[in-house]
Amino acid sequence: MFSLALKNILFYKGRSITTFILTFISTVFLVLYVSMTDGSHDSMLKNSLKIYGGAIEIYHKDYRDIGGNEYLIQDVKSIESKLSKIDGIKLFSSRYETYGLLSFKDNSTASMVVGINPTKEIELSQLKSALQSGEYLKESSQNCIYLGSGVASKLKVKLGDEVSFIGGASDNSFSADIFVACGIFKTGLFEFDSSATFISRVYFDELMLSKNKASYITIKVEDLDEVDEVNNEIIKVLDSENLESLTWKTLMKTMVEAMEVDSIFGYISLSLFLIVIFFVIMIYGFINVSSRIKEFGVLRCIGLSKRAVFSLLLYEIFILSSLAIILATPIAGYICYYYSINPIVIEGIAQMYQDYGLVSDELPFSFDIFTIFWNICLIFILNLLSVVYPFFYINSFKPIEASRHV
Amino acid sequence: MIKLASVNKYFYKGEAREVHALRDIDLNIKAGEFTLFSGESGCGKTTLLNAIGLLDSIDSGKIYLESEEVSTLSDDEKTKLRLTQMGFVFQAYNLVPVLNVEENIGFIMRLRGFSDSEIKQRVLEVASILEIDNLLKSLPHAISGGEEQRVAVARAVASKPKIILADEPTANLDSLNSQKLIDMMRELNEKEGISILFASHDEMVKKSVSRIIYMSDGALV
Repeated sequence: MFSLALKNILFYKGRSITTFILTFISTVFLVLYVSMTDGSHDSMLKNSLKIYGGAIEIYHKDYRDIGGNEYLIQDVKSIESKLSKIDGIKLFSSRYETYGLLSFKDNSTASMVVGINPTKEIELSQLKSALQSGEYLKESSQNCIYLGSGVASKLKVKLGDEVSFIGGASDNSFSADIFVACGIFKTGLFEFDSSATFISRVYFDELMLSKNKASYITIKVEDLDEVDEVNNEIIKVLDSENLESLTWKTLMKTMVEAMEVDSIFGYISLSLFLIVIFFVIMIYGFINVSSRIKEFGVLRCIGLSKRAVFSLLLYEIFILSSLAIILATPIAGYICYYYSINPIVIEGIAQMYQDYGLVSDELPFSFDIFTIFWNICLIFILNLLSVVYPFFYINSFKPIEASRHV
Repeated sequence: MIKLASVNKYFYKGEAREVHALRDIDLNIKAGEFTLFSGESGCGKTTLLNAIGLLDSIDSGKIYLESEEVSTLSDDEKTKLRLTQMGFVFQAYNLVPVLNVEENIGFIMRLRGFSDSEIKQRVLEVASILEIDNLLKSLPHAISGGEEQRVAVARAVASKPKIILADEPTANLDSLNSQKLIDMMRELNEKEGISILFASHDEMVKKSVSRIIYMSDGALV
């Protein structure tokens, strides 16, 4: 049957070439589409995490829901000591966030004032590379404030201007100071740039009485794909009564949901494409089978069983699909691999992205063997299913009727 | 060997255009007989041949092959019986277009699971009798109608079936080729002991067969 199927493929060249080309194109298209979608989602996520968010963040329970000084992490050093022993963590740093009023001359604005470790933040976030003017914070910076471009704009502050601050310290007392605008940053995240300001942690702790305290600890992992495993390790060593360790999937729930919705719409579009391809292949197969009704009728008359006829059709599509997929997979795989290393640069928005200095203007593809494997399996299964209707069509004829079919 | 008891067959049954294609056919055919069903066009020869060859169902009556009732078998069982016990020669040759002559002749043997050496030996033997041994590597479209029909006969004979059913096998052949084919089939009938059932209104065939069964309006006369 296999040999007969091979001969049929070579004999009915038109149908074979059409099926081959359709299968080849759909395989390449599917692999590239999924790779591009996954790649862009990865890119969105990495960009967002790169700017300020952490892959994992540790909070005191209820801090995120209720907030306030009662829910600060109280013994940061002890937790940091535990974290330093966990594999898969690349870097971590505590942040202390508070809200206060910043004023310059007649202008005032509310701001999220964050005490950070400037050195660690160079690796943990993009705060340094988002520098627009002035200079980034140093460990030893005293009353330097690093302002978001939106905050600076609201206050009409220039570098070197003195900005007064009043806010609440960790013991619920008032804290007030006069900072000097040392640097202005612009990440491209509008809300963030319009509300966030940063102060070196050493100076901040003196002002806020926040030594060994933190709003949360942000953690960068070695491999983002293993974030759940690392988080499970962290949960094991934490005091589970008071602390919670959350991954970006929870912290950036809105973005994750948006990506899921985007994926769903993408897969719906893709399904429509695959359905069209499936029907085109099936119709071509059906036309071919229709022109061979007499041949199948004769085969049935001389003793070929229905099962053997089905095997014959299956072998034909199996051989064609296999050849097309075998050729398409390395090509599509190579393109994915190439663009995963050399992402496509979107020229139209590159300039805009460069102004922001942070958000990538690149569209990387994802190169994942397992994803490519399920893509080609899907095409293969659809091709095999395309012979079902033609087979039932053949069997709708009695063998003797089919043998006389014109 | 073949027995038909009160076999009736209708086309378009229950409709205004109903045709009673086979009327109470009672028939016995012995093993090794070279039988001709003769009659005018539309008398039921082909329908009877198809019923005996289990290619078409009957509406009433029974068909026995070597004392076993075969008319009630399932579709798969009938297919198996056709493969193992019967050979078919069609008016339009009906060779598999993608297979060469050698592969066409050996096709049924291959379906039945004969070994390559058995197939090769038998193909050469049959091709030699039917004088097509010089065409073994040719594709069907590259040979003449007479040669195609001989290949069809060779295909039917090669697996040594008990019965060969041939429906108007000489209809598309000239008289020379027709005579040649009939002679060859008679030779096979005598040498191999295969029962051959012909449906034909070709006068030439009548001289070569051992038994002629006349039909008219679906009944034996």
